Amino acid sequence: MLRITGGTVYDPANGVHGEVRDVCIAGGKVVAAVEGGRTIDASGMVVFPGGVDVHTHVAGAALNFARGLIPEQHRKAVPVVHSKLRRAGLGGVTPTTFATGYLYAGMGWTTVNEAAVPVLSAKHTHEELRDTPIVDKTCCVLMANNELLLDLLEAGEYERARDVLAWLVWAAKAYGVKAVNPGGVAAWKWGKDAKRLSDPVEGYGKMTPGTIVAALARMVDDLHLPHPLHLHCNSLGNPGNVDVTLETMKVLEGNRAHLAHLQYHAYGGDDWGTIRSEAVAVADAFNANPNLTADAGAVLFGNTVTITADGPWQHLLFQLTGKKWANLDVENETGCGVVPYAYKPGSPANAVQWAVGLELLLLITDPWRIYLTTDHPNGAPFWRYPEIIRLLMDRDYRREQLNTIPGAVHSRLVLPELTREYTLSEIAVITSAGPARALGLPHKGHLGVGADADVAIFNVDKDPARMFAYPRYVIKGGEVVIEEGELRQVVEGRSFAVRPAYDEAVEAYLRPVFQQQYTMSFDNYPVGPDRVHGLEVVGPATQAGREPGEPGA
Amino acid sequence: MSCTLGEVKNRADLIIYWGGNPAECHPRHFTKYTIMQKGKYVPNGRKGRTMVLVDIRETPSAKAADIFLQVRPGKDFEVLTLLRAIVKGQRIDPRAAAETGLTLEQLTDLADRMKRAKFGVLFFGMGLSMTRGKHMNSAAALTLAAELNAFTKFVAMPMRGHGNVTGADVVLRYTTGYPFGINLCRGYPRFNPGEFSSVDLLVRGDVDATLVLGADPGATMPQPAIDHLARTPTIVLDPKVTHTSRLARVHITTAATGITAPGTVYRMDEVPLPLRPPLKGPYPSDEEVLRRIIAAVRKKPAWEPDPAGVMAG
Amino acid sequence: MELTVTKNATCTFCGCVCDDIELHSDGERIKETKGACILGQSWFKNHTAERLYPAALVNGREATVDEAVEAAAEFLHAADMPLVYGLSNVTCEATREAVSLAELVGAVIDSHTSL
Repeated sequence: MLRITGGTVYDPANGVHGEVRDVCIAGGKVVAAVEGGRTIDASGMVVFPGGVDVHTHVAGAALNFARGLIPEQHRKAVPVVHSKLRRAGLGGVTPTTFATGYLYAGMGWTTVNEAAVPVLSAKHTHEELRDTPIVDKTCCVLMANNELLLDLLEAGEYERARDVLAWLVWAAKAYGVKAVNPGGVAAWKWGKDAKRLSDPVEGYGKMTPGTIVAALARMVDDLHLPHPLHLHCNSLGNPGNVDVTLETMKVLEGNRAHLAHLQYHAYGGDDWGTIRSEAVAVADAFNANPNLTADAGAVLFGNTVTITADGPWQHLLFQLTGKKWANLDVENETGCGVVPYAYKPGSPANAVQWAVGLELLLLITDPWRIYLTTDHPNGAPFWRYPEIIRLLMDRDYRREQLNTIPGAVHSRLVLPELTREYTLSEIAVITSAGPARALGLPHKGHLGVGADADVAIFNVDKDPARMFAYPRYVIKGGEVVIEEGELRQVVEGRSFAVRPAYDEAVEAYLRPVFQQQYTMSFDNYPVGPDRVHGLEVVGPATQAGREPGEPGA
Repeated sequence: MSCTLGEVKNRADLIIYWGGNPAECHPRHFTKYTIMQKGKYVPNGRKGRTMVLVDIRETPSAKAADIFLQVRPGKDFEVLTLLRAIVKGQRIDPRAAAETGLTLEQLTDLADRMKRAKFGVLFFGMGLSMTRGKHMNSAAALTLAAELNAFTKFVAMPMRGHGNVTGADVVLRYTTGYPFGINLCRGYPRFNPGEFSSVDLLVRGDVDATLVLGADPGATMPQPAIDHLARTPTIVLDPKVTHTSRLARVHITTAATGITAPGTVYRMDEVPLPLRPPLKGPYPSDEEVLRRIIAAVRKKPAWEPDPAGVMAG
Repeated sequence: MELTVTKNATCTFCGCVCDDIELHSDGERIKETKGACILGQSWFKNHTAERLYPAALVNGREATVDEAVEAAAEFLHAADMPLVYGLSNVTCEATREAVSLAELVGAVIDSHTSL
């Protein structure tokens, strides 16, 4: 039992915007009152619900592939030293599994969504998540280039395709459905891409990226999955891709979707020399489409490594940078590329990327629909989130930072004109309450009675970057894990998976097709429930979920 | 530039094996994953694919190949480099080609086939990665494959050896960031091949106790390393009493992976697979014995890493 | 005697790691290996559930697992620079524990790959 007294509480999901009140905890949950137990005096401190990362890459084959590719970056990484409590590891741009859990918890984040899981290697992802302590976990399984599905869509068999999708979600013990460069990665298997929504997909006749997006969003809604289609749009990172992004919003036809790392999809211009921000056009269209949520995918200057299932984009990046490139295509399902990258303030293209992430966060009017991410590690490693919070909360600091990029780039941006400053309450929305709602996790992202007792307590500091980098206390599931900046206790996280309904007969359809197209036994393909540590199965929502913008109860 | 084996099965029309002998070392590679399979986009199976074997001698795998190219021993790096040049359209001195044991015509023909393939794959074996040039050869093979992607779809992958060596690589990378040879003596992972590789450590006499599992260095390592294993306390976990067990202070018999022990292993393309042990044996698994050793060590005074060492790191 | 059938068994002998083997066993030995190659066949048939080796040896003498575990812990704990080596034919679960142990005693951990 635990009572947090005297803190200024920010719990926007329950309409609490900076009120001094107590938070009581028993049995890992927030309760109305407790008798006895420990008291934390949070007077003069700020109390937030634990952070929720809606889009990150922290576990699995692709990330682990990247770890192997960049030993030279590990040497510069912050070492995590073994102690009685703590497992050894490395921080850096691709933290090791144990370090990932400590680093997230160390800045007050308690739930993460691993955003790109192939079914074929889902066992691997869950193995890594098992060794990612403290935080609770969900994963999204990659579907938009899955050939079992695409072949059925091509044949016009929507219902069976939906059953296959549902079967695959459960086989992977996933929580949501991810679409990456729909059709484009399938085309990449032949060294091609599909950049525009009406482009043909190499190897297929009728299907286009647009029809794949529309069908997947509809399936996810038909199956009442708690999280909408998690969509990485076509033409990521390309100058002039704004048209594709706007068109994608249209083809969704009102079905729900979460647009991942929107920053990478809001560019104008014709090439890398003329690239400019189209954040205004994207934000306007987004504001007008209440069926959508998004995360920023913001960029910060510095070294990182880019990892994505978007194979063709990575090949382009390799050709542009001449740096290392690794590509791993996953049979019948997806691709994956890895390219180390440094965002430089002196590069006009990188400067545009840096600005666009902030612009979207500032231009999208409803904080309940846009969330803080860097598409870790693509835009920057997740442990740099506090730097972005400062940029959002402090326009003078933002102006200072604008002076570090080439002056000539300013005319291609809207950032210099934006004066909005985020409030603490809005920060609590974009880092916790909003993403929890978008994920459809009703017990996360708030401090109302019945919520999971995941709490971050911060000292008030005039520098928000420092404030949010070093919480005074972090409580996960009612246990104090961080105190005075020290790790005090390591708890295990849970893994949420969803089991959507499907016609059991779909297995009889899948078995022979699978044996023909795959190289492993069908019976060895699904992840056994016993292999997912801390598995908690969530049923599909009874209806297609709440409106993303709707305020909480 | 790699892929899982199903991509090869479904798509590859050009399959090159370099420095490997799958017919004898990976007997089902041809039939399960590559040349013999009827793939989704290679409906004619064997007829729809060309197989090239590059090696220093004519192994039984050559019988399966459409083209066999015999390279002079130690010249793999040169051949790979010449191919990279030809692929890029650079002019080659025929004498440079001749030194490799192949003619310029053979090399040009291979480069053309690579560029013309719809989906090409280069599997490289120990004959490439473990001979003169070692990781330079692997790097050259990977670079060649990467550069071919400017023309077509091309992938390369190593033919990894036996057991779950791939799985060890995977687990070590996600727990420590590095694939092998990781030094934890300062309490966090450090990596420096050559300095922290087992043979170097043993030959130099740098280590003063060794736990061996899933290997028999007493049969495979150079004699000075074996001598050091015998001189210092060695502990072996193995389903059999091995050469190393005989020179060790402690041997514990453990269940055999996949026979009596359950768990997970990784295929050479990093696809994880579950084990279904058919027998119940009398011995505990490696996993269980390790847990018991960990519990016993935890009862002793804790070792605290030296923070000064960390600062110096 | 009735044979137990294990379908979709995985062979770990070579890097192919074929997972489509059907094994027939009599509880002590594997009698049939459908789908396995010549190497896989001998791999499976060379193993047994019988007790062919002592549970443990300490200094060449038979010992209990408990005694051997205690001796192993003592050696590893006392060492200044221990080495954990091999990992080429153990499960990922075992490797995971091996990393944990290496960390606990401040060891170098290395696989067969570095050879």
